[in-house]
Amino acid sequence: MRRDLYDAAWGGVLALLGLAVAGWAASNYDFGSLRRMGPGFFPVVLGLVLAALGALIAVPALARRGTQRHFAWPETVGVVGSLLIFGLLLNRAGLVPTTALTVLTASAVAPRPGIIWRLVLTVAVTALTWVLFIGGLDMPIPAWPRSL
Amino acid sequence: MTDLRRSLALASLLAGAFVTSAAGAQDWPAEPVHVFVGFPAGSSPDTIARLVAEPLAEAMGQPVVVENKPGAGGVIAIQQMLARGNDDYSFGININGPLTTAPRLIADLGYDPVADIAPVGLIATSPLVLAVGADFPADDVQGFIDAAAEPEAISYGSVGEGSGAHLTAELFADAAGVQLFHIPFQSYAEVTTSILGGEIDSGFMAPSAALPHVEAGTMKMLGITSAEPFAQVPDVPVLAGQAGLPDDFRAELWNAMIAPAGTDPAIVERLNAELNKILKNPEVQDRLLAMGWQAQPGTSEDLAERITDDTAMWGGVIDRTQAAN
Amino acid sequence: MTTLEGLSHGLTVALQPSVLIYSLFGALLGTLVGVLPGIGAMAAITLLLPITYYISSEAALVMLAAVYYGAQYGGAVASILLRLPGTPQSAVTTLDGYPMAQQGRAGVALFAAMVSSFAGSMLGIVILVALAGWLGRLATSFGAAEYAAMMVMGLVAASTIGEGRPAKSLSMVVLGVLLGCVGTDVNSGVQRFTFGQVQLLDGINLVALAMGLFGLAEVIGNIRKAERDGPPPHVSLRQLVPTRDDLRRMVAPIGRGTLLGGFFGALPGTGSTISSFLGYALERRVARQPERFGNGAIEGIAGPEAANNSAAITAFVPTLTLGIPGDPIMALMLGALVIHGIQPGPMMLEAHPDMFWGLVVSFGIGNLFLLVLNLPLIGLWVSMLRIPFRWLYPAIIVFVCLGVYSVRGSTFDIVMVAGIGAIGYALAVAAFSPALLLLGFVLGPLIETNLRRALLVSRGDLVTFVERPVACGFVIATAALLALPLLKGLRRRNG
Repeated sequence: MRRDLYDAAWGGVLALLGLAVAGWAASNYDFGSLRRMGPGFFPVVLGLVLAALGALIAVPALARRGTQRHFAWPETVGVVGSLLIFGLLLNRAGLVPTTALTVLTASAVAPRPGIIWRLVLTVAVTALTWVLFIGGLDMPIPAWPRSL
Repeated sequence: MTDLRRSLALASLLAGAFVTSAAGAQDWPAEPVHVFVGFPAGSSPDTIARLVAEPLAEAMGQPVVVENKPGAGGVIAIQQMLARGNDDYSFGININGPLTTAPRLIADLGYDPVADIAPVGLIATSPLVLAVGADFPADDVQGFIDAAAEPEAISYGSVGEGSGAHLTAELFADAAGVQLFHIPFQSYAEVTTSILGGEIDSGFMAPSAALPHVEAGTMKMLGITSAEPFAQVPDVPVLAGQAGLPDDFRAELWNAMIAPAGTDPAIVERLNAELNKILKNPEVQDRLLAMGWQAQPGTSEDLAERITDDTAMWGGVIDRTQAAN
Repeated sequence: MTTLEGLSHGLTVALQPSVLIYSLFGALLGTLVGVLPGIGAMAAITLLLPITYYISSEAALVMLAAVYYGAQYGGAVASILLRLPGTPQSAVTTLDGYPMAQQGRAGVALFAAMVSSFAGSMLGIVILVALAGWLGRLATSFGAAEYAAMMVMGLVAASTIGEGRPAKSLSMVVLGVLLGCVGTDVNSGVQRFTFGQVQLLDGINLVALAMGLFGLAEVIGNIRKAERDGPPPHVSLRQLVPTRDDLRRMVAPIGRGTLLGGFFGALPGTGSTISSFLGYALERRVARQPERFGNGAIEGIAGPEAANNSAAITAFVPTLTLGIPGDPIMALMLGALVIHGIQPGPMMLEAHPDMFWGLVVSFGIGNLFLLVLNLPLIGLWVSMLRIPFRWLYPAIIVFVCLGVYSVRGSTFDIVMVAGIGAIGYALAVAAFSPALLLLGFVLGPLIETNLRRALLVSRGDLVTFVERPVACGFVIATAALLALPLLKGLRRRNG
């Protein structure tokens, strides 16, 4: 029997997260009282609630047949990677190089071979971005790396 | 031979680069100047920054780009300014908090307001008024203090733990020898709403936040924290010297221009001179006053002194409130 | 000045050519930034603010206001077509708008969004004009106890909008509330869960969370699927036109949404995001067949879209009549007024009738323009669906990044989106509801600060929630909401 692994895993993660949040809050923030709640009150109480809910999700899931679900690993890595590139590069390299690299990275995981359409797309999106955000909205972002 | 020529050319290029950077102070600014503001567009620090940036750009012949980096009460903008290094083109216009009380209130601040920052000059100051609802039983400070005789009988709203409004109220309470009940909010708008709704009794706030409601007859201003009467609300009596408060009782918020430590002193001096010229312009003074700010021309040393004095004063208040908790 | 005199006076102000042009420009720009994911009215108004120094105060305010309500129209487009909310308040429009688009009814969904937005705005203006005084008093009569009780009720009422097992739905609400705890605690000044990151002191960026949970999760899941499925079949003109049944189903939700949004808009601190979520929850609650929701129910678009537009209009009431801005965008508007030497407040109507009535009339003109502009665009938007997804999604990623960046110029927030997107996708695969997480995140901090503040104000006396009549009403309603399913269950067991 294939168990509902997704629910079981997420239930477990949420339960552990809840416990961690409650534990961290209890040891670092003042709990206060019901009448004068401290900063720890909400996180501790809700952390415990989350832990209980996580257990409620995970335990029955182990005894239940789950639906098969596909997890798109390569796409996740590509999209997250391209966002990280954008975030980390924007202030250093400027908008134009950053956008180009982001688009190239993101399009790398598209399930269609070929390099030409990727380059065309990169140029098109980079140009559009420049026109919209620097030309049109005049956002205060450098377009190119700061000269040395 | 070609190699030699090439390296000579390279050397002269480098020398040229060196000369331009050495001549920086005279040729400065050779590119747009960036000013990091710690609050969003439309906020009063932003409006002040833009009010100053425009004539500054005109005087220096280079654009002055106001960059809003709001967050953490102005701290983020200072961090961002410092992250660009002392390149002589990165400056900041910010309020007093990040330069005075922030090291006490924020863990991992990432900078030291004295060691890492070169003061350029003070721009403007704003006192706070003690405001109460129209049906508050007292009409002056003495009456307010009498009403607050019993500990925590009178509540006040502030714009957050450690905010200027909070610390001013605690400074006042300490000087008056009373204990007020603190209820933190997120903005003056919330504090005002709460006073109008009768939920809390009072609050220290910017004169312009209270003024419309005073004119409408729903609020009263009992006193002001500046050393002299304030032109925007000339009828409100100064708190200093009244009802047993010390004669030097003064609490002001301010906006100032700063630079990263290590910025060319000649550039700091030039900026300070331009800033003072702008602040002495009556039109600029009027526009500042309309927003509740008093123009304060002065030297960079004046600002440095302000930072040290306020850090000590507010530090004392923070010590007392933290000890009380 | 009577209302009629005021309106005719406002008409002369709003019809001045310069004011009219700025109004139309603002509406157009608002639609554009609303369509672009992540970039909302906030960013556009911030960027426009410096320009307003150079134009008349009426033109400036009319333009900024048009950007604000224009963005509410545009926000629905990407929500419906791509499950990518243009603005946080249109996140809820994805719940039924996107399923409709997948059923080949994107045109009808867009039509419903536009018409509901228009009707919500117009009725919102009527509410504004008729009840400005009463709405102004509403703002000050709501204290912390009322807010806390009302928000708890909202949370309980809306906790059912997700699909599937109750434990999974509730876990997302709780997770959202916990994420809302990140940052400086208002009541104590303690920095919670910031782990030394100053960037987190003001909490997690709402736009980053909405874009990560909805937009990016959808992009990741769709890259391969879209390639496999190919572009959707060609949509005939007939399919763009709503059926009589569609129209009939929209009427009541628009009315309810407008009232709900009008109420929340006038309350400082709530506003259009909460209005659209609660508008959706309300429709689901009153529906005869709640199971249709989430599968393309047109009521699920009409209600929230009317609500958030109505809220965008009445949000001006506390700002103009009390000088109390209800949300960051209204704070910007207030700033713009102050720049022009106008101090909004109780005296505003008497001191600056030009500004007040001019704005009100311009709302009407702007919204009419938006409807005329957007209805013909529906065909164009729908044809965008025929662009292969591999051409679209890299651009979407760039726009999301810039949208998030535009909120406060922070690259840290872009890195946050990357992480939230990955988690959001993993949650979506396991069929957890991102809408509920967002709901918890929006309502959680309001509940916590107001609950704690109410207890501070009452010096720790819990009776405050029963003593104050309005708060008490909300508490009773919440209890009823909680008891209802239990009673139903009992009856089923006994019967």
